[in-house]
Amino acid sequence: MFLVNFLIRRLAQGAVIVLLVSFLIFTLLRVVPGDPVRLIVGGMAPDALVEQIAEEMGLRDPIPVQFFRYMSGVVQGDMGQSFIRPASGAAVGGASFDDNTRSERANVLDLIADTAPYTLQLAVLAMVFALVIALPIGIYGGLKPGKWPDRFALYIGSLLISLPNFWLGIVLALVVSVNLGWLPAIGYQGFSYTILPAIVLAVEIAPFLIRTLTVSVAQNMGESYISVAAIRGISHRRIVMAHALKNSSVPLLNLLGVQFSMLLGGVLVVEFIFDYPGLGLLTINAVLQRDFPLIQGIAIVTSAAFVMINIVVDLIATTIDPRLDY
Amino acid sequence: MPNTMEVIGPDAKEARARTIAQRIALGAWRSIEFRIGLFVFTTMVLLSIFWPMVSAIDPMKINIGAKLTPPVLFGENWTWTHPLGTDQLGRDMLMRCFVGLRYSLFIGLATVMIMLAVGCLVGLWAGYRGGLTDTILMRITDAQLSIPMIILAIAILGVSRPTIPAIILVLGLSGWPVYARVMRSVVMAERKREFVRGATILGASDLRIMFLLLLPLCLPPIAFVAVLDVARMIIFESVLGFLGLGVQPPTPTFGNIIADGRKYLVNAWWIATVPGIFLFLTLASLNLMGAALERSRNRVYGGKA
Amino acid sequence: MISRRGILGGVGAAALMTQINPEFLISSAYAQTGKPIIFLSAENITGNWDPTAHTTLSQKNIEAYVMGYLSRAPMRPENPDETNMELAESITLLDRYRLEIKLRPGVSFHDGEPFSAKDVKATFEYGAQPDRPAQWYPGPTDTFEVTTPDDLTVIVDTTKGGYSASLFIFLASYLPIMSAKDVAEGPNGSLSQRLNGTGPFRFVEQRGNDTVLEAFSGYFKGAPKVSGVTYSFVGDGTTRILSMLNGQASIIERLEPEQIDTLTGKPGITLSKMISVENKYLWFRCSKPPFDNPLIRKAACHAIDRSIIYEVLGESGSPSSNFISPIKFGYIDLENYPEYDPEECQRLLAEAGYPGGEGLPELEYITSVGFYPKTKEYGEVITALLQEQGFPVTLNVMEVAAWNENLYDRPGGGPGHMVDCGWSTGSPEPDLVLRTHFHSSSKRITGLVDPDIDALLDKERSAASLDERRDIIQKELTPMLADRAPALSLFTSVLVHAMDSNLTGLFLYPDGAIDASAATFG
Repeated sequence: MFLVNFLIRRLAQGAVIVLLVSFLIFTLLRVVPGDPVRLIVGGMAPDALVEQIAEEMGLRDPIPVQFFRYMSGVVQGDMGQSFIRPASGAAVGGASFDDNTRSERANVLDLIADTAPYTLQLAVLAMVFALVIALPIGIYGGLKPGKWPDRFALYIGSLLISLPNFWLGIVLALVVSVNLGWLPAIGYQGFSYTILPAIVLAVEIAPFLIRTLTVSVAQNMGESYISVAAIRGISHRRIVMAHALKNSSVPLLNLLGVQFSMLLGGVLVVEFIFDYPGLGLLTINAVLQRDFPLIQGIAIVTSAAFVMINIVVDLIATTIDPRLDY
Repeated sequence: MPNTMEVIGPDAKEARARTIAQRIALGAWRSIEFRIGLFVFTTMVLLSIFWPMVSAIDPMKINIGAKLTPPVLFGENWTWTHPLGTDQLGRDMLMRCFVGLRYSLFIGLATVMIMLAVGCLVGLWAGYRGGLTDTILMRITDAQLSIPMIILAIAILGVSRPTIPAIILVLGLSGWPVYARVMRSVVMAERKREFVRGATILGASDLRIMFLLLLPLCLPPIAFVAVLDVARMIIFESVLGFLGLGVQPPTPTFGNIIADGRKYLVNAWWIATVPGIFLFLTLASLNLMGAALERSRNRVYGGKA
Repeated sequence: MISRRGILGGVGAAALMTQINPEFLISSAYAQTGKPIIFLSAENITGNWDPTAHTTLSQKNIEAYVMGYLSRAPMRPENPDETNMELAESITLLDRYRLEIKLRPGVSFHDGEPFSAKDVKATFEYGAQPDRPAQWYPGPTDTFEVTTPDDLTVIVDTTKGGYSASLFIFLASYLPIMSAKDVAEGPNGSLSQRLNGTGPFRFVEQRGNDTVLEAFSGYFKGAPKVSGVTYSFVGDGTTRILSMLNGQASIIERLEPEQIDTLTGKPGITLSKMISVENKYLWFRCSKPPFDNPLIRKAACHAIDRSIIYEVLGESGSPSSNFISPIKFGYIDLENYPEYDPEECQRLLAEAGYPGGEGLPELEYITSVGFYPKTKEYGEVITALLQEQGFPVTLNVMEVAAWNENLYDRPGGGPGHMVDCGWSTGSPEPDLVLRTHFHSSSKRITGLVDPDIDALLDKERSAASLDERRDIIQKELTPMLADRAPALSLFTSVLVHAMDSNLTGLFLYPDGAIDASAATFG
């Protein structure tokens, strides 16, 4: 019952949020300088033709009307077509304005669906790496607050967070891939191409995990039930593993939800540097090529993903800690 | 009645408020990390302000003959006139890094100030008023938190030419929700306190209570931790610059110097590495300071200091 | 290739991490013999495969693999006029207005249709129509007549146009021959959807940014030994060189001078450098203010010190003082070519009514990045030089596909006021540059309408002999262009390619096209 209530409420809120985001981006793209019709029709068209096509495509209607039309399409699964990319997905430009092939453009949904799995793979691997780095350092630091493991956690955290991710990516690509030849770097031709980008991403996320872990573990170890448990004769190891860790994981979970926004920023840069064919590279190319429908589609998909992730995270958190009320 | 105000009035409260802020600052000062961070940071800031004024070298002067000179003691044909080498058009790296640092610091600080201003005002209003105002403002905050800011940023800056005010605005908008939330929870806790009720009874207007009583109390702890956000904003701006959406060339900023330097990494590694090191030092010092302040704040609020 | 499920399953293979053996992970999916050539291109394609619908160099280079040409011109500096016959057995000028082309028997298109004279006739008549975006022909279709006395003979008669039929000789090495069957379907038919030619490689499909070509076993000179060519657009120079160093690419193009230094002496990589038929230009938008005034255009030319640009380019550029490359017919070092002269620049500005640049509107200079070497760098140099003279110029650096969208002229004038672009046409024919850009019937980028220049272009086209034509070009046409300056040619490109040393038997043309019919992987 609680579950259903919770889901309904959150999903409704989520829908409102996604709607808001799409409207924002939609308006933005219509308002900034640079006529989207020009992009569809192409460089050499005379202005009269541009106006005519704009009327036909309904791009001169008031913004709310256009938005309503767009959203009704989205609900049915049609996110429109890319301005730039033809059905093959290539990046093209330079054709004449009355070029007939301009009408068969790629579906935004297809473009996103093709690239999203790659980004997902990258994100998951990065999370795994980050946890591998952060868990030992964070927990150990939390267990001994004020002593050197704690300071070590602080230094490492500050160090990692200060490394600009794009700089690290470039340097690693050069040193590890070109000079040492240990890992491949550019593009995607196998799972191994995910490793180097994931490392760079992990370096970016790990500091936050470390910091949250140290604080939360330290806090939990200071709670009275821990000291009582020691008196009861439970071994230190069991105290830490079975009790403290479980309770410390709640803020961590929360953090994982927030991390996704950070992850997205990092993913954009990392995929750009490593030419990794994921959602991030698609986004950057879409922006650089002024491909508005694609930008809109990605914005909707990502905010929907955020909302879902936050809902899932909150759900799991409530399961672990029934005191929480979402 | 006036006597009671002497005791519980704003003065005493302000004394206590200052003490909390002072306590946090003192706590941070005690740790070595903070002092190291502060020292490095102040040095870099002072250098970035004064060095370009003192030195005669123009960071934008193109001098092809001297292009791709390595830094001192590396490679061949290095020279003391360009201690950190030159870039692909012969411009001095040291000068460009300092000028870039100026822009980064300026943008970072301006952005954080906007974030603080907007966030704290929203949080203050929502926390104090409660009820409908609170719900509406918090929903807006939540919505903003759900927007993938990086996408918004690159969408805005990608389709219109990025100018410095636009960049500051976009970056600032990306961070204020967190401050609003924190401010709101702090204010909600504080507004139930005696001194606020006392002031209301005495006829103090809402605005007076919010700005003269609550704000000085709640703001400093939050502001301290904003130091970390300065670092975050500097990185964000560099990322935008790297993608070509930040401050435009030929104005040097870390992002676009490193982006240009990427092409030359194999032959002229210093073009990308030197700004990276500058950026790293700045960020590390800021992060050390911020982390120390955060820990100190946690300790103060946790009752241990 | 890789399904989405396959990738998600791969996540579980994180255990592989513990045994990082590069050879195991980077599997050689290809056998040693018969693997495809992977070419990383610096420029995007247009998406419309009709050869007459575009002027994009990368697409022309793809056509060079797939299509057949009547002849080919190697255009080496030691012998710029040499031509090798391909689909034609002989090309003879019968008299001033008639050209006879005898065709090779036994050739067929990739779709199985046999090649014959009707295909040449269809190609010429279709390609010369005035509505075709690519205006390569000396005149529109109604200025010449093509007859086919038999299946292997073509006669081109240019009496109606008043110009010599010899103009078609140089064109013969530049125009891909299309199938008459395809041409009959018109511009919206199969011509735009795929390439169909007589060349050594067959067009398979366009997969994302990769154009996939495979060896055509029925090629009349014998099937190619490599299994195919994958022509991929990668718009970033660093990514291209990293792929080359990693062994993921067989050939990359448009190397920057520093990349040349990096790759020289690297084992396993061979470099090829050649003076190209391509010049890089600063094009002015001549149909809108302020550059509709030739005085201001000349002033801008005098503000630019090209010696700095040569220094920036290093090995990737070669000095030249004309609107065409030194290996083109009619090249001469022009005496009145605008040189760096700040005083003259200021004088011209004052004469035009903008002393010191005051009163000039904001000028936008559009350039690309990731395609030609050093465009951003010398773009910054030119911007700085112009600003020194008072021109309020802002540099707008664009990604390649976006730049391609903003490059060409539009009614009312194209975007921006100055554009950076190179023009590369694989034939010694100078009109492919001069007429295409400076004649009012074409004015591809500049939008220029200048009756004096039109008159001279028509005059040299109708010249009685090659010598007379050369004289008109060298003594009248190009000096007038230097005076009116609708564009400034900055330098001649040096095309630098890097190739896998195992890949031998390639022939590189100076416009970037590659003949891979005899190529093998060692």
